[in-house]
Amino acid sequence: MINSRDIIFESPTFARRIKGMLGVDFYRLFHTPLFYIFLAIAAIIPAMVSAMTMMPDPNGNTMEPLYSNVWQIIASTKSLYVIEGIADYANMNMVFIFGGIMVSIFIGHDYKSGYVKQLFTTHAKKQDYMLSKSLVCAFAMACMCITYLIGGTVGGLLVNYDTNVNIGSLLVAIFGKIIMSVGWASLYTFLNIIFRKYFGVSIASSFFFGTGILIIGVAAIVENLSLPTAFLNIFLYGASVNANLSSGIDALIICITVSVAWAVFYNYLGTKILSRSDVY
Amino acid sequence: MNAVEIRNLSKNFGSKQAVCGLNMTVPMGAIYGFIGENGSGKSTTEKMICGLIPTSGGSIKLYGKDYTDKTVRAKIGVLIEAPGCFPQLTVWDNMMLQAANLSIPNAAQEVVKVLKTVRMEGAAGNKYQNCSLGMKQRVGIAMALLGNPTLLVLDEPLNGLDADGMRIMREVFTDIIKDGKRSIIVSSHLLGELQKVATHYGIIRHGKMMIEMCADELDASYRTYVALKSEEMNQTKILLGCKYSRVEEDEAGYLRVYDLTTPEEIVSYLYENGICVTEIKTDKIGLEEYYIDLMKGGK
Repeated sequence: MINSRDIIFESPTFARRIKGMLGVDFYRLFHTPLFYIFLAIAAIIPAMVSAMTMMPDPNGNTMEPLYSNVWQIIASTKSLYVIEGIADYANMNMVFIFGGIMVSIFIGHDYKSGYVKQLFTTHAKKQDYMLSKSLVCAFAMACMCITYLIGGTVGGLLVNYDTNVNIGSLLVAIFGKIIMSVGWASLYTFLNIIFRKYFGVSIASSFFFGTGILIIGVAAIVENLSLPTAFLNIFLYGASVNANLSSGIDALIICITVSVAWAVFYNYLGTKILSRSDVY
Repeated sequence: MNAVEIRNLSKNFGSKQAVCGLNMTVPMGAIYGFIGENGSGKSTTEKMICGLIPTSGGSIKLYGKDYTDKTVRAKIGVLIEAPGCFPQLTVWDNMMLQAANLSIPNAAQEVVKVLKTVRMEGAAGNKYQNCSLGMKQRVGIAMALLGNPTLLVLDEPLNGLDADGMRIMREVFTDIIKDGKRSIIVSSHLLGELQKVATHYGIIRHGKMMIEMCADELDASYRTYVALKSEEMNQTKILLGCKYSRVEEDEAGYLRVYDLTTPEEIVSYLYENGICVTEIKTDKIGLEEYYIDLMKGGK
């Protein structure tokens, strides 16, 4: 007669659990086309934006170039919370819009396929799941930032934009935006947890928040009232915009602080919601 | 010690009570056939056991520990609805990913072992999306078996299987529990198939356990009947109806007289009334008929 004393009950440590889960998520990322498609999108879009602005219109007139400098494709020249033209908006921050869609598809599959049921039935904790998804998606978005940088630079050079730049500020802008991937990825993971039953809503909400339209709206009101706009940097979009071609090291510190703080907040909240709700 | 002990379990979805006051006991080493109509609360109960949905009340003990205990959770394998595989990856890759998720040391050896158990060792290189339904179900069970779980929760694993698939699945179930350490909760609407493997049964209706019993008890409680054919079936039915309380015609065209084990009595009664019996046999109703009877409010 077998009894429960014959069964060894043990559970892996946090380190082993998270290592296993990260391993699986990275494997999935590198072995499915999704990641590569989005890397290509991130590279092609800035190159296309640069090239298209130099193409003649139907009357044979050359269009007014969107940018005057290669690096404006990567970041704006100053903190422009309220956009004045598409050129102020179309920079590396767009990665956070495509990235949101990628995260929705990546996490959506977990729910559609029943993978989460396997995962949460065993010893996997909800916090492991949030953490693993946030980190892997942040990595994916950081990679998209790099391909965006390559695409934008090549595109800008091909159309002979000026290359003069303050190297320090450029590096701050690039690293600042890459670091912001952590916060954005956590936001999107959180949104996908909230709308896990509705794949379409997940994508739409990721897109909506990714555009930064809420912060742009608030900024418009604040600027109309001639109030200081610095407080907008506590938000993901604000901090992302703040990392620009005239930034100093303080912008990088803001990016690190804001990105990590929101990542912790969204991971905590996502874990709480997952723990108290049904797994579909 | 039982593998699962559920007492007074309830689950509400808003104002709808999906499970109310459910008691359930799954002994160690059992194949527990969990039966009920659609919407009776089977899947909800299984999901609560798996920790996928929080309970609204009551208790679930697994091996004497609370079901939220992380050490006991590591001993559960599950196949609910879909196995959670990645279609473009091979069976082997999917298995290895699950093994990584479970932090299994010697993952490759373990995967080979469970694939053998489910008779899938020859199909490890197939892409999951190219597997047949029966193979996918077996991959799901193999994934549930990774990490050497002692409790398997399988929701409708027999659905859509052909005769050969059913046979393989029965063999797999029997193999899984042969060491006596593992228990399986298996829900299915295919009661004939379930009857061939289950050692215990629980029948749920409207979120409440109607009856729980082991296979022997169920076998003893099946109603016996005498089935017969005669040259004058209509007249025979009228005559038998006058003498016996329950006479029904079955799908094969036999007249069944329930709760009788002595065909001689019927043969002589009909003979006295001028009817010649051409075929006669005694039998017991199966699980399916027992279940239908129970649902109708019969014994």
